[in-house]
Amino acid sequence: MILRGFVLALLLSLPLAAQPADFTPVRHPDLAPLEKAVAEQIAAQQELLKALLADPAAKPAELADAFGDLGRVYHVYGLAAPAEDCYRNAARLAPDAPAWPHLLGVLLQGEGRLEEAAEAYARALALRPDDVPALVYRGEIFLSQGKLDDASGALQQALALEPATTAAKALLGQVALARRDFKEAVRLLEEALTEKPEANRLHYSLGLAYRGLGDRAKAGEHLAKAGAVGVAPADPLLDALSALRTGERVHIARGRTAFRAGRWADAAEQFRKAVAARPESVEARVNLGSALVQTGDADGAVVQFREALRLDPNNATAHFNLGVLLSGKGPTPEALDHLRAAVDRWPRDAEARRTLARLLRDAGRLEEALAEYGKAVELDPAEETAQLGSAETLVRLGRYGQARERLEESLRSLPGSGRLSHGLARLLAACPDVSVRDGARALDLGLAVWNALPLAAHAETVALAHAELGRCAEAAEWQRKALEAGRKEGFPADRLAALSATLATYERGEPCRPPG
Amino acid sequence: MDRAAAWGLDFRYQNGMTGELFFPEIMGGGAALFDYDNDGDLDAFLVQGHPLAKGGPPSKGGRLFRNDLVALGKKNPEPRFVDVTEASGIRATGYGMGVAAGDFDNDGRIDLYLTNFGTNQLWRNKGDGRFEDVTAKAGADDPRWSVSASPVDLDRDGWLDLYIANYVDFSLENNVRCYAASSRRDYCGPSSFQPVPDRLLRNRGNGTFEDVSVRSGIARKAGPALGVVAADLDGNGWQDLYVANDGAPNFLWMNQRDFTFREEALFAGAALNAAGQPEASMGVTAGDMDGDGDDDLFLTHLTGEKNTLYVNLGDGLFEDRTAAAGLAAPSLPFTGFGTLWLDYDNDGWLDLLAANGAVRLLDDKARQGDSYPFAQRAQLFRNLGSGRFVEIPGGEAGAPFREEAVGRGVAFGDVDNDGDTDALVVNSNGPARLLINQVGSRRPWLGLRLTGPTGRDLLGARVTVFRKGAPALVRRAATDGSYGSANDPRVLVGLGDSSEVEKVRVNWPDGRSEIFPPPPLGRYTTLVQGEGIR
Repeated sequence: MILRGFVLALLLSLPLAAQPADFTPVRHPDLAPLEKAVAEQIAAQQELLKALLADPAAKPAELADAFGDLGRVYHVYGLAAPAEDCYRNAARLAPDAPAWPHLLGVLLQGEGRLEEAAEAYARALALRPDDVPALVYRGEIFLSQGKLDDASGALQQALALEPATTAAKALLGQVALARRDFKEAVRLLEEALTEKPEANRLHYSLGLAYRGLGDRAKAGEHLAKAGAVGVAPADPLLDALSALRTGERVHIARGRTAFRAGRWADAAEQFRKAVAARPESVEARVNLGSALVQTGDADGAVVQFREALRLDPNNATAHFNLGVLLSGKGPTPEALDHLRAAVDRWPRDAEARRTLARLLRDAGRLEEALAEYGKAVELDPAEETAQLGSAETLVRLGRYGQARERLEESLRSLPGSGRLSHGLARLLAACPDVSVRDGARALDLGLAVWNALPLAAHAETVALAHAELGRCAEAAEWQRKALEAGRKEGFPADRLAALSATLATYERGEPCRPPG
Repeated sequence: MDRAAAWGLDFRYQNGMTGELFFPEIMGGGAALFDYDNDGDLDAFLVQGHPLAKGGPPSKGGRLFRNDLVALGKKNPEPRFVDVTEASGIRATGYGMGVAAGDFDNDGRIDLYLTNFGTNQLWRNKGDGRFEDVTAKAGADDPRWSVSASPVDLDRDGWLDLYIANYVDFSLENNVRCYAASSRRDYCGPSSFQPVPDRLLRNRGNGTFEDVSVRSGIARKAGPALGVVAADLDGNGWQDLYVANDGAPNFLWMNQRDFTFREEALFAGAALNAAGQPEASMGVTAGDMDGDGDDDLFLTHLTGEKNTLYVNLGDGLFEDRTAAAGLAAPSLPFTGFGTLWLDYDNDGWLDLLAANGAVRLLDDKARQGDSYPFAQRAQLFRNLGSGRFVEIPGGEAGAPFREEAVGRGVAFGDVDNDGDTDALVVNSNGPARLLINQVGSRRPWLGLRLTGPTGRDLLGARVTVFRKGAPALVRRAATDGSYGSANDPRVLVGLGDSSEVEKVRVNWPDGRSEIFPPPPLGRYTTLVQGEGIR
């Protein structure tokens, strides 16, 4: 390890060989702040170029490739200035190679230098007229510049060469949208989505096109589906570029992308590679643990979180995740310790406090739970789960009047909350302290919740409210709805049996009031 | 022309960076241009940062500069700024992000609300040159990371309420290490932290505020908010709120007239850009850029993203027409912060100024040994009146648009009272610049201060200026918008080539409207609701 570091330091300290005067001087970056694997990769590519530059027998094409390859490595790591210099040199040395102006175009477009990027693509297209991705990128640039006719021309050309270029079709849809030709935009975007249904970002433009046509329903439908996945043309040069990335960071970045897209196994694989690249990386292990949880490998996740905490005992994310994971087996002291550690490190995190509160409640440490719920609500007054948890804890403490007050207060601040309405309805219908009950209000709230969301639990609450009001027949009718809904929702047998038993009580007639 | 040093505005925003790359270091700060002593010229307040790591030196605190316009014979008077912070009693030693200005107690004197990384402060203007900290008494604090705030009367009760835009849940304890594409350490972006909900405070009219964030619906959606602007965006006479979120869909809170709000940005076409992507929104401004009588939105964004123009279709629905306006391509290489619709040349069309400065290390500058490699030049865009804009080249716009700095908040206003809009630019780790407009006053102009009987600026009032032989112009009295900054509450209307005004209509924030005879041109006039020209 020490020897490799020493060799790398030597390499970086040597200046690259003098470059011929007609080359663009390359603005090589300082590699010292980069991840070791990345710096080594760049240094190795620099060495290849240096060796060729020092070789009088080196052919221009070889030099072009060496410049281009170094440019690609710089490019993939976002080092735009040296990448540009290298691509320009490569293009000068190999004027017939379309790859270098193509990649230069991609680089400059990413830098927002649209005019220069369009010129670079034009050079690439002059060398290779069937460069479909270059046509699409040019179309995209023209669209950004408001040159709609030029955009349309480039994109139509791409489609003529390769009719399966969905990216061109999608961009043409945006051109139509910019022209306020909503009908044409709908046609093109619908087609693009048929070809690439996973490209959910297109739903946004499509929604706006329908809005332009006055079809609010379809507009709303598509806008609700709008997501982050776009569509890009197949570009082997770019694919090869991204394959150059190495080191821990790239795998973490790829893992996060996969994680966000719900591709848990892919995410775990990338995070494993990140751990392999740098075993002492706490970030990689925490991410791997999180991905493993999603794949169902809880034991593997626990191993990663524990290792992360061994490396960094203060890592709040690892404490929190491990606490949540271990709490699946109940409120064990270890789970509580980790959640407490997370809260100590994240004192303003409402979710962490609410999670700790739930576990404390389950452990029977009700006063402590109540305090944590209170802090969670203080931190995030819109946190209805914590508000509900607080009221439930008060019920467990037998402080029913306070529970009712807490729910009433919460509902005043969150008047649209179905969960709080349901919690209050249940308490008002069946509170063990009958003085807290209010059957009529429970019925109003319960019916409102049922009408908004017809779940078994909600029907059961309406039944309880009727029972509290002494209306046993209505209670039985609603209990039957609860049973029916419970079967559809896949309730376990014991839960269904309990519902049936209560139904029998209601059917027997008075007294059917829930016991106090 | 930058006149900050020449006129005594000696200020440097210090972000306190120590190499730890704490997120807030890269986000501040802002400034206010406001007439705190009611002497008819704009004074300035600039927020300040400090080292965030424990044990660092204390903050020097935000500074209040009084503007003493100096008469220069036949020439226009020139401002001279005097640091009066100590005498004012303002002790703004939090980690300053931004400032909002408005008369919250209806006493005719503008108060200051300071947004911080940490607890905020409400400074009440006592009217004798001093301010008092009434944060706790008024219930106006927010301990989270706030950047921008908007004073606005949302329920038409004659009292300014306050919307506070909060960013993310960053703390020194939950700091994480972030990396650039090159794998080098860099500042984090908002996606590394949880966004936090904004706060809405209803003014009870007795010196206190009620936190209605939850009840109003505002707190139900959390976004990494950096900018906010209040305007009647659907033309129903009630103030709505538009919130610029960093890297997440923006919010459009439509006023339901009962102090509740419905978030409608997605359907309105103002949440995402034309391609359906959220952008890193920082600065925001609302104004009638196309002369159709409604307010259009403009937002500044990250390098690699365009700034965005949302054109109002008149009913609260918007279209992203950035590309058609010619505003997309020029903004791509820059990270924009403070911005405003301003008619810099008084031709009757609202132009744009954007202060720029990166938030990620600029590799090439770092390679050249720049110890703070984030600087970019500011941009000025001229509205051609055809729906298109052109960037004014640095050679024409002046040195401040050629020289690079790490631009953040910008407060806009007519500092020298000569009839055109100037700009006070806060630069991170650099001297503040006072960009004095040299061209606007060459054209006819009308200056209006719109107040209620108590002397409070009636923010949200809309002015329609009917010009003889030319279309009417609609402008709005506001101090919000830009980035973490507070602007001149007066309305400055460039009249273009028209030198005659037939009448002025004011739609007051309480829903009433009033017609005024033409005020004199070339000077500022106060229009008082229900009392005529003062």
